Amino acid sequence: MNILIKQATVVNTASPYNGKVVDILIERGVITQIKKSITPEKGIKTIEAEGLYVSLGWLDMQVNFCDPGNEHKETLDNGLKTAAKGGFTGVCVMSGTNPPLHNKAQIEYVVNRAKDNLVNVFPIGTISHNREGKDLSEMYDMQLAGAVAFSDYKKAIQDAGLILRALQYSQNINSFIITHADDKTISHGGQMNESVVSTKLGLKGIPALAEELMIQRNLQILEYTSGKIHFPTISTKGSIDLIKKAKANGLNVTCGVAAHNLLLDETELESFDTNYKLNPPLRSKDDVNALKRALENGIIDVVVSDHNPQDIESKDLEFDLADSGIVALQTAFNCLVTAMPKITPEKIGECLAENPRAILGFENNMIKEGQDANLTLFTLTGKTTLSEKDIVSKSKNTPFIGKTLQGKVIGAINNDKIVLN
Amino acid sequence: MSNLSVNHLLGIKNITTTDIKLILETAKNFKEVINRPIKKVPSLRDITVANLFFENSTRTRLSFELAQKRLSADVINFSASSSSVKKGETLIDTVNNILAMKVDMIVMRHSSAGAAEFLSRKVNAKIVNAGDGAHEHPTQALLDAFSMQEKLGDLKGRKIAIIGDILHSRVALSNIFCLQKLGAEVKVCGPTTLIPKYIEALGVKVESDLRKTLEWCDVANMLRIQLERQDIKFFPSIREYTMMYGLNKTMLDSLSKKIVIMHPGPINRGVEITSDVADSDQSIILDQVENGVAVRMAVMFLLAGRQ
Repeated sequence: MNILIKQATVVNTASPYNGKVVDILIERGVITQIKKSITPEKGIKTIEAEGLYVSLGWLDMQVNFCDPGNEHKETLDNGLKTAAKGGFTGVCVMSGTNPPLHNKAQIEYVVNRAKDNLVNVFPIGTISHNREGKDLSEMYDMQLAGAVAFSDYKKAIQDAGLILRALQYSQNINSFIITHADDKTISHGGQMNESVVSTKLGLKGIPALAEELMIQRNLQILEYTSGKIHFPTISTKGSIDLIKKAKANGLNVTCGVAAHNLLLDETELESFDTNYKLNPPLRSKDDVNALKRALENGIIDVVVSDHNPQDIESKDLEFDLADSGIVALQTAFNCLVTAMPKITPEKIGECLAENPRAILGFENNMIKEGQDANLTLFTLTGKTTLSEKDIVSKSKNTPFIGKTLQGKVIGAINNDKIVLN
Repeated sequence: MSNLSVNHLLGIKNITTTDIKLILETAKNFKEVINRPIKKVPSLRDITVANLFFENSTRTRLSFELAQKRLSADVINFSASSSSVKKGETLIDTVNNILAMKVDMIVMRHSSAGAAEFLSRKVNAKIVNAGDGAHEHPTQALLDAFSMQEKLGDLKGRKIAIIGDILHSRVALSNIFCLQKLGAEVKVCGPTTLIPKYIEALGVKVESDLRKTLEWCDVANMLRIQLERQDIKFFPSIREYTMMYGLNKTMLDSLSKKIVIMHPGPINRGVEITSDVADSDQSIILDQVENGVAVRMAVMFLLAGRQ
């Protein structure tokens, strides 16, 4: 398929065209021409939009597609369609599955299932066998099958010795560990951020301490073992301070934030709406502001959707019985831009496309002639209103239905395929 | 007489001071009614009320039921032990099934915070929250305020201490909201493990010493230790809790003034208070129970929109 992108500003710091307004011709999946103006051939698909930006295809480092095991919430096929709609051309699929992605067979299932898709799939194998937090899983075998990193997803590893061995072992295969931060002995039974809001609602709180203690512990272990650790979704000011310090001390640590944690705070929970029940929880306004600053100044490396589908039977319940999560792939970019209206296109390119590639150790492709076209098209001035029928995901657990958010994903191009909104 | 500003009584947090005063004023009339030889009025005779208790309760359920009968409402009772909840039916399905039988008002107790609010968004009936998790128990707070007013008059500037397990207590939270709206000062007292970390931000004082608290207050509301809501140990033993936070007659008599003793019940005699304290002339525990019926009559009467 041949595509002509008209008058788009290139957002790709490594590209010679960065910041320039150009026409881009894509023929059979490869960028063949970039010029000030290209005259369209007859019949070619042309993309035009006011204030159009083009960046490398976005890569979401944390999604849960529930497949295998919870296909009633989401399937790989459907999850990938959702990702493309949200502007993502790559996703790291986490182990919110049953059985967990803890051996070669599971990784191969994901890889094979997702072949020939616009969206590239990068499976994350588990750190521990059966995600039990006890013994290491077969990381090397999973890596050979296609696993790009290792994580027990939302199950934070409580056993310090296991994290130590995982960090040591992952170095042997040039890989790294992604781990959720939550000390269960502190967050025990918690439903939302601990604060005056949780006190007023009579809901058991999850203290910031539970996240920070775990990050501090893991950083100290990292200092001992070397290796590389990534915290997928940090949510507190204290976590930022810890990571900032560790980075300054030269530790190989990176971190991400869920886009909704930049936009929403704990006061949303005052009506007991379970759509706002999340893990990590929505935190205080102070935390939200600190997260935004940390993204601006580069302490936070990546923004993720933390897409976590829950069917109505798991969500439309009494608050403490409901599961956490949000279907977020289609709104992640909009959350980011709504939360940070002054964000530069370069920063968007960095935190959604370039930094995830760097963390995963992928070769850094760029926007220039001869490269495969793996691109996301977006505008900052457009707006997006989400209606229930627009949601591609099988689950509809999002608080954004009927709401208008800033920014618009125009389309995604990858593997000689295109999805336009 | 005016109307309440709300359609449901979900918590004290979402009602106004005027609402509280209206309920307490109306309750005075009903207290007079229930002390007549014929204790019944026809106010709710076309109303059907369902009492849904998804958590154990004796006194609150009986108090509501009696209040409904005194108002001539038709009453059905549903409790978790005999319910379909154990068969895996969801709350909404249970309630909708009951509503399909044409029920106008629901009184519900549930172990999840926010359950009453959740229900109010889903079903078309007036909801009275009879306790939701560690969130609110509004009618308890109202009957407590009513009982304190009976004893002390206006509560403005009065000092009220709430003592015990504040962390797991819906009574504490509703009492705090209610007393503050009526202008009283509130102090909570208990072991730090049972005091929510951010409770001071609600404008209450925190004290860990029982004697100091008792010397400060006009009223001591002694809460029950709720072992059923504690899945981990917050203090070493009941014995040690009683040593530090149990109120006995010797301590009560040694205080420099006569304070009022309250308890939402059921009492663990010998734990949070000894029998001689519970039965002393300073205790208004049984007045609370009597006033509970009058206050609940007032709440249901007003919610039904009866003038």
